[in-house]
Amino acid sequence: MIGFLRAIVIWAVAGAIAYFILRIYARSLRREALEKEWDADPKGDAAARDAFIEKGMTDYEGSLRNRLLLIIFVLPFIVIATLLYLVNYA
Amino acid sequence: MRYVKWAVWGTIALIIGLFLHYTLPQHDVVRVVGTYQERQDLTDWTRIFWSSPDDQSGTLANRDVQFIQTIRTNGRPMVYRNEDTGWSWPPYFKFDTASLQTEADDLRSTAEAPKWAVVTHYGWRNELISIFPNAVSIRPVEGPDVTIIPWFNIFFFAFLLFLVVLARQMWLQFRERMIDPALVDAGQAWDSVEARAHAARKGARGFFGRIQAWLNTWKAKK
Repeated sequence: MIGFLRAIVIWAVAGAIAYFILRIYARSLRREALEKEWDADPKGDAAARDAFIEKGMTDYEGSLRNRLLLIIFVLPFIVIATLLYLVNYA
Repeated sequence: MRYVKWAVWGTIALIIGLFLHYTLPQHDVVRVVGTYQERQDLTDWTRIFWSSPDDQSGTLANRDVQFIQTIRTNGRPMVYRNEDTGWSWPPYFKFDTASLQTEADDLRSTAEAPKWAVVTHYGWRNELISIFPNAVSIRPVEGPDVTIIPWFNIFFFAFLLFLVVLARQMWLQFRERMIDPALVDAGQAWDSVEARAHAARKGARGFFGRIQAWLNTWKAKK
């Protein structure tokens, strides 16, 4: 039972690390895309640019794409369940 | 220096390669000839090659291990251990040791009337230090020359490649967005430091130069 709990904790921590790294990466990509979008067709000064990017990032925070990243937390457990089934019951 | 670099990379690649070769599943076509159970010492360094099941005290000096004796298609013997991996490493989550032993017993056959089976296993066989690969599953097949597609390894390496490419992309993104601008900032900061130092030096030259000039006024005129 201890082994089971340990495995759960280890995989959850691995999932959390992967989630936060990917989250930072995805946000960075989004921000860069927003910057490029503005720079291709500027509609104002530097302050307007900042406002545009901040609004884009706020929209992104609530987007489905950002929330889908949460799947990473579940992924290790899906893999474990699949392996458990294949190795022992298939 | 170039040789040192290659030696380091070679060693890292070798360690990763050995690790994957030990841990990833492999398939053997075999004929089961028997099974047995034997008490194994767990006190020497080869302990790392035995598994550590969950329902076992960590301080055991020895315990019974089940084995599956087989003959491979090339006529050579291969003996597998049959142990639970439990929740620990490697992550096979194998708990059906007793069932696997039963299946192996069921597939027992003689050289005259062979029943061939595919054993999925991980680990290495080494007679010298008495280590055995751990059988994970066994299934009967038609004959000794079946084609086995290692689906798991295909997916695993595809995923590994994906991870490596992703890590590289992340690093490039990180460098482009965080390190390069920081270097530009640092460069600018350094430029301004140099400019200030330059101005200060100039000022100093001016100040001490003026003192020098003033001192010089006390010198005897030649």
